[in-house]
Amino acid sequence: MTSWLSRIFSVARFVRSGNASPSARRPSPLSRVGRQGVAFLAIAVSSARAEDTFFAKRVTPILEQKCVVCHGAEKQKGKLRLDSFAHLMRGGEGGPAVTAGDPKGSELFVRVTLHPEDEDFMPADSKPPLTPDEVKVLELWIAAGASEVIALAAIKGAPALAAPKAAVLPLAPDWRARAPQIAQLEKALGIRLVPRSMVATDGLVLRTASSPGRCDDTTLAKLAPVADLIVEAELARTKITDAGLAVVGTFVNLRVLDLTRTAVTSTGLNDLLALKNLETLNLTATAVDDSGVAALRQMASIKQTWVFETKAGGADNPTAAAKK
Amino acid sequence: MNIFPTPFQTRRAFIGRVSQGVGGVALASLLEKGGASLFAAPALAGTRGVIHPLPLPQKVKRVIWLTMAGGPSQFETFDPKPKLAAMHGEAMPESFTRGQQLAQLQGQKLVCHGPQFPFAKFGENQTEISTLLPHIGSVVDDICLIRSMTTDAINHDPAHMFMNTGAQIAGRPSMGAWINYGLGSEAENLPGFVVMVTTGPGRSPQPIATRQWSSGFLPSKFQGVQLQSRGDAVHYLANPGRVSRAQQGADIGAINALNRQHDAFVADPEIATRIAQYELAFQMQASVPELTDLRGEDARTLALYGCTPGDGSFASNCLLARRLAERGVRFIQLYHRDWDHHSLLKEELPLRAKETDQASAALITDLKQRGMLDDTLVVWTGEFGRTPMSQGNKGPTGRDHHNKSMSMWLAGGGIRRGFVYGATDDLGYAATENICNVHDLHATMLHQLGIRHDAFSVKFQGLDAKLTGVEGASVIEGILA
Repeated sequence: MTSWLSRIFSVARFVRSGNASPSARRPSPLSRVGRQGVAFLAIAVSSARAEDTFFAKRVTPILEQKCVVCHGAEKQKGKLRLDSFAHLMRGGEGGPAVTAGDPKGSELFVRVTLHPEDEDFMPADSKPPLTPDEVKVLELWIAAGASEVIALAAIKGAPALAAPKAAVLPLAPDWRARAPQIAQLEKALGIRLVPRSMVATDGLVLRTASSPGRCDDTTLAKLAPVADLIVEAELARTKITDAGLAVVGTFVNLRVLDLTRTAVTSTGLNDLLALKNLETLNLTATAVDDSGVAALRQMASIKQTWVFETKAGGADNPTAAAKK
Repeated sequence: MNIFPTPFQTRRAFIGRVSQGVGGVALASLLEKGGASLFAAPALAGTRGVIHPLPLPQKVKRVIWLTMAGGPSQFETFDPKPKLAAMHGEAMPESFTRGQQLAQLQGQKLVCHGPQFPFAKFGENQTEISTLLPHIGSVVDDICLIRSMTTDAINHDPAHMFMNTGAQIAGRPSMGAWINYGLGSEAENLPGFVVMVTTGPGRSPQPIATRQWSSGFLPSKFQGVQLQSRGDAVHYLANPGRVSRAQQGADIGAINALNRQHDAFVADPEIATRIAQYELAFQMQASVPELTDLRGEDARTLALYGCTPGDGSFASNCLLARRLAERGVRFIQLYHRDWDHHSLLKEELPLRAKETDQASAALITDLKQRGMLDDTLVVWTGEFGRTPMSQGNKGPTGRDHHNKSMSMWLAGGGIRRGFVYGATDDLGYAATENICNVHDLHATMLHQLGIRHDAFSVKFQGLDAKLTGVEGASVIEGILA
């Protein structure tokens, strides 16, 4: 799988999981009372600032994500709230949630480490369970005294936080701003410009499979208003020639190009050298030869080229040449 | 389906969606009058699907589904079982079968029946495959073999329905219809869902039925269109002697103008279907002869598949499947029948293997060399598996239907290559590791097409009907690259 595909794919999985982070919808974990308490204690023991405490940095995010849906300001199942240190220490109808220094004697720890089938297992109702890392964080924190003010660095051995997800790299500008133009071009030219995914900066796929005979060099020239939006161009079996490739060379964000069974030649391929993102190029059953393909294969971005049924690739015409 | 923004909603999709009740029809007609320009008949460019844009990036654009109808035995194809061979002829341990549903062996004496042909190791990972399938063995590094598939049904018709529609009872839309409904058809002059059927020669195998490619409760323009394997691919394709193409076009145009008028008045999706089908049929008069004309195919390509043009073989259909894929057909389903070996397993199964082995492998090779395997999903499967126990009450020994273990394979975009997923117990009676079922297979296919299976539903009889059913299905993450 090419890297950009895998990247989009990971984004997709993220999108697919739907409700991204419950914390976005929840009030701050530290209630007003809690913050005052922290401030007071911070003076008293001259300990870490609230933001640098193990509780704020490591414990609170877990409680927020996995617990406060049912044990917070809105719902207090078992009369337990876990949306502040004070509430946590107050416990619920079953008694205290935490016994400082004794994870196995702390209801909070015990309930999340039961067998998932156990009716007392938390989170209940098949909500996402704590990860082993999260369980470990709770265990270390309780064992170290369940303190609100203990510094982040004071508890050793906590599993590292997962690196934050890399920001989504746009493959192309947001197509939505040009939706009317896109619709108009589709209608006028009888081609399709299909968004690659729900991510509006994933660009468009130029599709001609419905009637390749309708797409020629003139058609491509008319796509200038959306040239930078096209990340994938399916031009197999169309009537385009080398002149059309000059236009394709202006599709600056193009990554995938299919020229199967078109009249393009090695001469036209030179125009593609301008495409700094081009990764996949299909030249099956075209008149290209090694003179045109060699330069393309040198491009840093190119990952795969296909030259089946062409003169390129040597006497035995290897079916697909993947760049090492 | 309303979770997706749909800036390019077509008139048909719109009507299809809102006209679920009388109120919906009224609303649709109102909008039709008020916004005629908005919902003008689309230019000829295939059909737009209801899912737009796609929630997930599309890994594959099309599916080629090879159905080995009748239920091939996994023990003679993809699931070697040395322990079963060692116990050949002994009683099947009751611990496996007690209380289990069996098809034709219910109440019979159950005897272990070892694999009837040797297995050999193929590919870089030394995957064990029957020596009856050397060509598939030669492309094993490009396919993902699943040995732990299961299905709900244990008899042919319900099993075919389940595999095709996600429900054992007939009447639901088949997967090809769902996919064309969701994604639209790329091909404006060919159907988006094409079915072709071949049969091993000389016997009268289990029937298959057109309801397996029905559109169910979706508009009927999404149903599979069967092309004939022999003779004209479509009956009465050519115009009668003195009717020119222009005349035929004028006739179709006039009929469709009348239909459109009526459609604007009553907004019935079935009229839209009729209009679309008339247009499509007219286009197919030109496109099908071009499609089935194999003269442009290299002799090496014909040799790769092992077919001669016009022979009506599974191999020819595999080649046609590639040509359909090139022309934008979204879902291509090939059936090869006569895998139902209750008897004569040792005699008949090798014949089916020979009829399909080279062509199935050639399809993978050909798609790969043309750069098409990366955006095509190829699936090879029966409707169920077969028992590790012998069946002797129908003549010379065979195997009975079985739903707790079956083997199948996938290949193409985003699927792990050269990989074996899941396993069965020592005797191959039941899948024990990475057990998956047909709903999971459908979920995975939709996922690769860019569709969230759990959000792709249509209101029908008060339910949000889905291809993947209501019991819950999971994408088989373990087979994804």
